[in-house]
Amino acid sequence: MLIELKDIHREYNVGGELVRALDGVSIGIERGEWVAIIGQSGSGKSTLMNVIGCLDTPTRGEYLLNGKDVARMSDDELAFIRNKEIGFIFQNFQLLPRETSLANVELPLVYRGVSAKDRRAKAIEAMQKVKLEHRMTHKPTELSGGQRQRVAIARALAGDPSLLLADEPTGNLDSNTGEEIVRLFAELHKAGHTIVLVTHEPKLAARCPRAIRLSDGKVVGDGPGAQIAFQDHQAPVSQAAEAHGS
Amino acid sequence: MSLKVDLLEGSRIALRSLANHRLRTVLTTVGVGIGVATLLAILGITQGMDTSFQAQLASLGSNSVYVSKHPWVQMGNWWEFRGRKRLTLEHLEAVRLQCTYCGAVVPVLDENDDVEFMGRSLSFVSITGSTSEYLEVSGFEITRGRFLTEADNESRRLVAVIGTDVADTFFPDIDPVGNTIRVGGKPMTVIGVLSRKGKILDQSQDLTVIIPFNTFKSFFKGNQSIDIGIQIKNADEMERAEDQLVGILRRARQTPPDKPDDFAINKPEQLASTYEQLTGALYGVALGIGFITLLVGGIGIMNIMLVSVRERTREIGIRRALGAKKRTIITQFVLEATLVSAVGGAMGTLVGLGGAKVVSLVTPLAATVRPMTIVFGIGFAALVGLVFGIWPAARAANLDPVEALRDE
Ligand SMILES: Nc1ncnc2c1ncn2[C@@H]1O[C@H](COP(=O)(O)OP(=O)(O)OP(=O)(O)O)[C@@H](O)[C@H]1O
Ligand SMILES: [Mg+2]
Repeated sequence: MLIELKDIHREYNVGGELVRALDGVSIGIERGEWVAIIGQSGSGKSTLMNVIGCLDTPTRGEYLLNGKDVARMSDDELAFIRNKEIGFIFQNFQLLPRETSLANVELPLVYRGVSAKDRRAKAIEAMQKVKLEHRMTHKPTELSGGQRQRVAIARALAGDPSLLLADEPTGNLDSNTGEEIVRLFAELHKAGHTIVLVTHEPKLAARCPRAIRLSDGKVVGDGPGAQIAFQDHQAPVSQAAEAHGS
Repeated sequence: MSLKVDLLEGSRIALRSLANHRLRTVLTTVGVGIGVATLLAILGITQGMDTSFQAQLASLGSNSVYVSKHPWVQMGNWWEFRGRKRLTLEHLEAVRLQCTYCGAVVPVLDENDDVEFMGRSLSFVSITGSTSEYLEVSGFEITRGRFLTEADNESRRLVAVIGTDVADTFFPDIDPVGNTIRVGGKPMTVIGVLSRKGKILDQSQDLTVIIPFNTFKSFFKGNQSIDIGIQIKNADEMERAEDQLVGILRRARQTPPDKPDDFAINKPEQLASTYEQLTGALYGVALGIGFITLLVGGIGIMNIMLVSVRERTREIGIRRALGAKKRTIITQFVLEATLVSAVGGAMGTLVGLGGAKVVSLVTPLAATVRPMTIVFGIGFAALVGLVFGIWPAARAANLDPVEALRDE
């Protein structure tokens, strides 16, 4: 098992009120899986991605990554894992505005200590995968939303991570480009990468071998993508609401 | 990931950040620059003063002492010296007879007065009344004519030996010997010219006229306490000679055993210690000002770095998410602070050295600059940046990555 979450809670205290962003999530993801995470806005999808990506620490619960307890890892070890094992595609790109897109794509490799020549080559290769080789010297502010999205994807791919975490990777793309990105994910999946992606498009989720539905920080559905994506989820949501007593 | 990567990437980011905020960088560096400039200017001037003072001290003649009623350099209670008995020729005679370490022993009286020749006048000339052996005590030599003799003194002759400043002013083209000048209004015939000694603490020793002791007494303050100028035969025996002199003088002056010495044995070295105290205080104050300015500059840098961390919170989050360790972030920001400060230090060094140079041009103070001073200036500024950069850098590194990424 690559990812093993056992009763994960992530709570925020906002002005004395407890917000349960994750409320007892237990899931396992095998190496090589392609999983979609769906759910309404505010259901905890990004929070879950941050926990899986070793960026956020759960309030309670156990997270085993590759059989190792993440809670016991030092800050440096976590930084190393984020750099080596994980490719993040954030919901709002998170690019450095003053650097060129190529420099942005090179960044994970910089922190890995790859030589300037090698990382340039790898970054260019990643830019080609997302069809952006003609925009390498542009800064993010000089790119369209979809192009920024693709730079963010290229950055995640450049480090050749074993686990890709993508938060709404097609959210800003037209259907053609979106389709290309999805095909890219399919290829990466075939090549053995593990992919977890958040999406609000049932059509995309349906194409994933597996989908997990979140509602109010709880897992309310887990199964083949085609089944979970179009599932009527009203009932579980109200159940969850009752459990909260609200 | 190695330290090398941290340093390389850190410097690259730091340089870029400085280039992106050129005006801010310059303004930030001003504080540190002024601090370094102050420190360097002071260092340069005091180093220059030291150098020229060493040369000046050498000209004083190090194996002479002067016994006076008061110490040259009065420290503490001035009243303490008030009721002292005068020093007289009797005391001088006692020294001459009993002191085994002493060579020439001469009476010395001093006065500042005008000296005139053919309608031209020099004011504040040091007029000294002494005897034939004064040359040995003072370290002067005769370059023209002759010095005072016993006979000049016995007969209270109206003769004068003049310093080079007086000679150069009144007799630029002709031989001074044989001409009559007016010393404090009294006509005196020039019989000789002294060698040049130069300046001490910016005061010329050559603006002087020496006349016979008895002549001095009859024209100037006749009843004044005299100074006893003493040449110590062997400079190595200075301390023993002093001890012996104290004994001789206490006996001659009948100082009660329970009272402290009621006279002072003055040495040219005392000038050196005065000088050191003087410049030490100056040095201290200036260093203090410099350090305070640097402190203020450092706080300015800290402030700007905190602003920079705030502005770049999201950037920090991104870097952390992509694998930058805390150490990497710290290195980046500390380097940036150090670099800003070093830039200020370099500018301050230029200004400070320029300032010292200007001072040496418009005042008699000489400014020397040792190469180490420049290294010190830039290095010290960099250190200030490093120290004041650590806290903002640590804040940056300890940001929660998720929080940082949410920053708008
Ligand atoms: N730093 C925080 N402080 C307080 N509450 C937070 C914080 N981060 C997230 N939350 C809360 O946790 C819940 C889940 O947030 P999350 O961002 O994971 O939602 P999401 O499923 O990604 O939503 P979306 O589809 O809109 O991106 C929300 O109710 C949100 O208000
Ligand atoms: Mg989200």
